[in-house]
Amino acid sequence: MRAAGLCVALLCWAGALPAQTMRPFTTFRQLHGENRLAARLEFAAGRLRVVPGTVTELYRMTLAYDADRFVPLSRYDAPENAATLGVEPVGGPGLRVVSRHQLQQDAVVLLSPQPDLTLDVSLGAVEADLDLGGLRLTELRLEAGASRSVVRFSQPNAVRCRTADISAGAAEVSILKIGNSRCDQVRIEGGIGRMTLDFGGAWTGSQRAELSLAVTELRLRLPRQAGVRITMDRFLASFEPTGLVRRGNVWETPGYEQADRRLDLALKTTVGGVRIDWTN
Amino acid sequence: MRTARRILVALGLLPVWAPAAHASPCALRRVSGVIETVRAFVVQQITQAPDKPKPSTLEPAPAGGASVDLSDLSRPEVIERALRSALPAPGPDSRVTVPNGQARLGEFTIGSAETLTGHLLVIKGDANVYGHLLGNLVTLDGDVRVHRGAVVSGDILALHGDVRDEGGEIGGEVRTLSVPMTPAGSGDALSPLALVGRSVAGAVGVFLTMLALGVGLVTFARPNLEVVSDTVSHSFGRSFVTGLIGQILILPTFGMLVVGLVLSVAGILLLPFAVVVYGLLAILGVVGGYLAVAHAIGETYTRRRMAQGAALVSPNSYRYVGVGLVGLFVLWAAWALFGWVPVAGEIVRGAAVLVTWLLATVGFGAALLSRAGVRESFAGRLIPPEALTDEYLWATPQFGVPAVRRPEAGPGTRPGTRHDPGR
Repeated sequence: MRAAGLCVALLCWAGALPAQTMRPFTTFRQLHGENRLAARLEFAAGRLRVVPGTVTELYRMTLAYDADRFVPLSRYDAPENAATLGVEPVGGPGLRVVSRHQLQQDAVVLLSPQPDLTLDVSLGAVEADLDLGGLRLTELRLEAGASRSVVRFSQPNAVRCRTADISAGAAEVSILKIGNSRCDQVRIEGGIGRMTLDFGGAWTGSQRAELSLAVTELRLRLPRQAGVRITMDRFLASFEPTGLVRRGNVWETPGYEQADRRLDLALKTTVGGVRIDWTN
Repeated sequence: MRTARRILVALGLLPVWAPAAHASPCALRRVSGVIETVRAFVVQQITQAPDKPKPSTLEPAPAGGASVDLSDLSRPEVIERALRSALPAPGPDSRVTVPNGQARLGEFTIGSAETLTGHLLVIKGDANVYGHLLGNLVTLDGDVRVHRGAVVSGDILALHGDVRDEGGEIGGEVRTLSVPMTPAGSGDALSPLALVGRSVAGAVGVFLTMLALGVGLVTFARPNLEVVSDTVSHSFGRSFVTGLIGQILILPTFGMLVVGLVLSVAGILLLPFAVVVYGLLAILGVVGGYLAVAHAIGETYTRRRMAQGAALVSPNSYRYVGVGLVGLFVLWAAWALFGWVPVAGEIVRGAAVLVTWLLATVGFGAALLSRAGVRESFAGRLIPPEALTDEYLWATPQFGVPAVRRPEAGPGTRPGTRHDPGR
């Protein structure tokens, strides 16, 4: 009888437990003449969209987060002009299981096109769409984790970008219109997954890209106008060198030496495939 | 009644303004602004206005009393928690200390000629800033409006409210933390009855599928199933350990297989087939093993009932598998019926998952031990099948039967007849 009463009480108490909740959070900061911004975006799970913002605000983030497991991140270090935005898990480090509910978290981050931008993005189980076109991006660092990420440069970068460092774990990453990024050097490390690199866009100079991939299916979209040279180091990886001429470990387009814009790719791949598509 | 009349008047005014919308984009914006104002007015009239407390100053708490530090607003949830803890039921008599600042109850306005130094906390009311605030601003259950020409030097945090920047200058960061939204998916949440129906349908579907597989296995591979089942019965612990090791090694083995095949040209050609076959074998091992466990459970139960004198119609492998599966699905049936109960349902589901995994591991291990029912070493069949016959009692001795001496032929006997002992 006591046991039955205890069970009923337990069930009644359990029925009163609150359900998981998504909480809206918004943060922004007015632009007060800052000429540089170091933005770090940390997002563990959910959907993330980054787009250019307005000229009156330095940044703005609109977020809906799982209040039971995460807390919003919104910090600004005025002397360093450094902003940290996103969500961080509640509690310490350890093994986490991402539930379908957490994947419903949603964030939209708007970054000002006014200041020079250093962008550092760290993603977990995230579906991310980063449109960095039209910003003044000077440096990009992206840790894609186990995400499905699309980085696009829909418009030419307003300034010259020094480096773009992209690393992916078990991820599907697409970087579109890299020519618009105006990055001198692109470094990409890929784990298990699929990667699409589209080197289209408005080129203003030559570019160099270093790719180190393992168990990755790589699809390269290369512009016909540019002179392309691929230095290949591969092991158990297939390669379709369509439109390229081989010279030892190097494949290059016939008019590489005479081309105004050159793209040098140093590609190291293990167990995977490399496919080339030519674009106009 | 008065409210309804106001609504009608407001709606009647709309068509009067509407034609102006055709004039120009500027006019369109103006008209939409007017419509928005009317809409806000109507909404304000028809909705129940919350009880807004009379504006007052909240006195600081005595030493050791409630205190909320507003100097760092980067963790809004922490501030919210602190406020809820310090002011569980805010009222004119509430006391709270804001270090380097002040707390207000109800609406609060900083006039255009005023400068307020220090942090400001506004509870249950809107904060309108026309002048200067040299500090942080926090509202709980209220909005913040920073009007044109106003200056807030620090951060702004609106808990359960909104911040409207109407042209003022905000030196710090603006944050709003709203009330939690309706839990995702609650709009189409199923009633407990519907949840039970769905879960029962799912459990019954899985049960019938397993039953069909079991019948197929008994029909086409009965000896193997019986050997695996006997291995489960007689080597339970050994089967579990083997199954556990098998689960751990299944992926490394697969990796070794792939790498081994990749290293040769013929292997690369075989790789797709090998991958498919490996996957099928693994599934067959787990599912077949699970059915063998069901067979073993059903056999044990049936034999015990028969030993108690129950007259059963057909105590065969079909029955064993059916009875065993019913036993195995009892926990899942419990989950299907009570899975909607928040905590108890999770506990039952966890138990069902654990038991299913345990038995599937045992079955998988038994299938490995018995080489899919080919090897009987662990099936408890210690006497070889040929020993289960009495033919050995009739076997001819290896060195023959000693001949009996032929009797002397008598006068009444003929050699070659039945009575001849020499034959």
